[in-house]
Amino acid sequence: MANTLTKPQLLGRGLLSQNPIFKLALSMCPAVGMSTTVMTGLMLGCAVLFVQVFSSLTIALFKRQIHPRIRIPTYTLVIATWVTVIDLVLAAVFPAAYAQMGIFIKLIVAFAIITMRLETFACKESVPDSFVDAVGMGFGFMFGMVVIGFVRELLGSGTILGYDVLGFKPFMFFILPCAGFFVVGLMMAFFNWIEQKYRERMANKS
Amino acid sequence: MNRAALKDIISIVVRLTVTCLLAGAVMGATFVLTHEAKERNEQARDERVLYAILGYGDNRPQNMALHTVYRYVLAREDASSIGYVVPVGDGAQSVVMEVDLDGHFVQHFELLADSARLRNDGERDRAVIAALNAGMHAQGESTIQARYADKFIIATQNGRRNAYILDGKYPGFKTFIRVKMALDEKFSLMGFEVLEHEEDPGLGAEITQPWFRNQFAGKSYEQIKKLQVTRSPVPDPWMDVLSGKITGSEAQTIRQQHADDDIYALTGATISSRSVLQGNQAMIRKFVTRMEILDRVLKEQHIETLF
Repeated sequence: MANTLTKPQLLGRGLLSQNPIFKLALSMCPAVGMSTTVMTGLMLGCAVLFVQVFSSLTIALFKRQIHPRIRIPTYTLVIATWVTVIDLVLAAVFPAAYAQMGIFIKLIVAFAIITMRLETFACKESVPDSFVDAVGMGFGFMFGMVVIGFVRELLGSGTILGYDVLGFKPFMFFILPCAGFFVVGLMMAFFNWIEQKYRERMANKS
Repeated sequence: MNRAALKDIISIVVRLTVTCLLAGAVMGATFVLTHEAKERNEQARDERVLYAILGYGDNRPQNMALHTVYRYVLAREDASSIGYVVPVGDGAQSVVMEVDLDGHFVQHFELLADSARLRNDGERDRAVIAALNAGMHAQGESTIQARYADKFIIATQNGRRNAYILDGKYPGFKTFIRVKMALDEKFSLMGFEVLEHEEDPGLGAEITQPWFRNQFAGKSYEQIKKLQVTRSPVPDPWMDVLSGKITGSEAQTIRQQHADDDIYALTGATISSRSVLQGNQAMIRKFVTRMEILDRVLKEQHIETLF
């Protein structure tokens, strides 16, 4: 099955029209749990981007050797391997970053978004297309995490990236895990609304 | 069972095995390539934290020496006791001081291992067990089991004791909080650092904030025993001193005014604040008891140590 989309379309799709968090509603647990600040969101996003790209490449490369009945165990193994590799390399090379990210990285094995991209895309498409798709989805996830982190950090702690911008804490509620659902829900509504407006305008033009 | 199904099963088994082997090989290779650097990083971090809580930045003192004492729980058939591995002589030797649970000296064993070898957990365990049981067989008794409990560091400046460094772990609001702490020679708290915790970001996680931790610094052993957590707001000048906005002589006067203050709780995280205080109190109380026993025993037995 060949892919009909061009590479820029593949890239943009992950960022906007099929954004993992706001559109596909995948990997919501980390989105809610780890998005209390911009920084943690960004770090988890980076880690997911790496794992997604490496896993997609591996699966796209070996797609002919994977027995269809054991796809999912194979995907899990591949993801777990890359997560472990990134965990070890970060701990060795960037100890300062690892001290903050360490706890998130091991969680990535269970992220639905990565398995889902392997299942619906990488196991059917060519290596370059899978790479572009993985980069798009990875950045889309990172974008979602940063946006949610921005809202929650600003409203919950009154800071952005640790810098005090408001000088007070408007709503402490936003730091609590349950507030993550509210923010994600509001963001989804916001993105859907934008998309609707955009469609309407396109329809009016033509 | 038909042939095709059998073939399928074999194919699945072979593919899964190969995948696992490949994955294992990749992870193993990465581990071999990185574990040395990782250990080095962890040691460097440990050391940096250690000097930071002692109040030294990058310029570390010249005549400072660190002596590590390891604590083991010794189990015989009928009773348990505590064994302290203490460096003696010029650091090339150690003794294991066995003390019973009431703090009375039982016996001591020579341990032929230098401090570098003792730093390796596995080698130290073997050396301790060998030393204990060499002594026991001579007396025709049964073997002793030794289990590593914890360690503490005694820092000396020009041969004089000036600080103790302890590691500890206690329950927080959710899971354990791991800390490193420094006490001066009179058991006053010099400072502590939170190494690991899983408190809520923005709430309990604020226990890592310098201003919160600085409230503990300088409290004497007598004060610490009586400290409480108070939920009243932190007075503004005191907050400025704690967060380092005011320094110098002005800070000194404010510090003196608040010397007897309780620990001001973090907003919205009273339980985490209280956990840290109570955890620290318990850690210090246990350590002081142990150190007093060890000092008394070493003195009674006329054992010369480096600290």
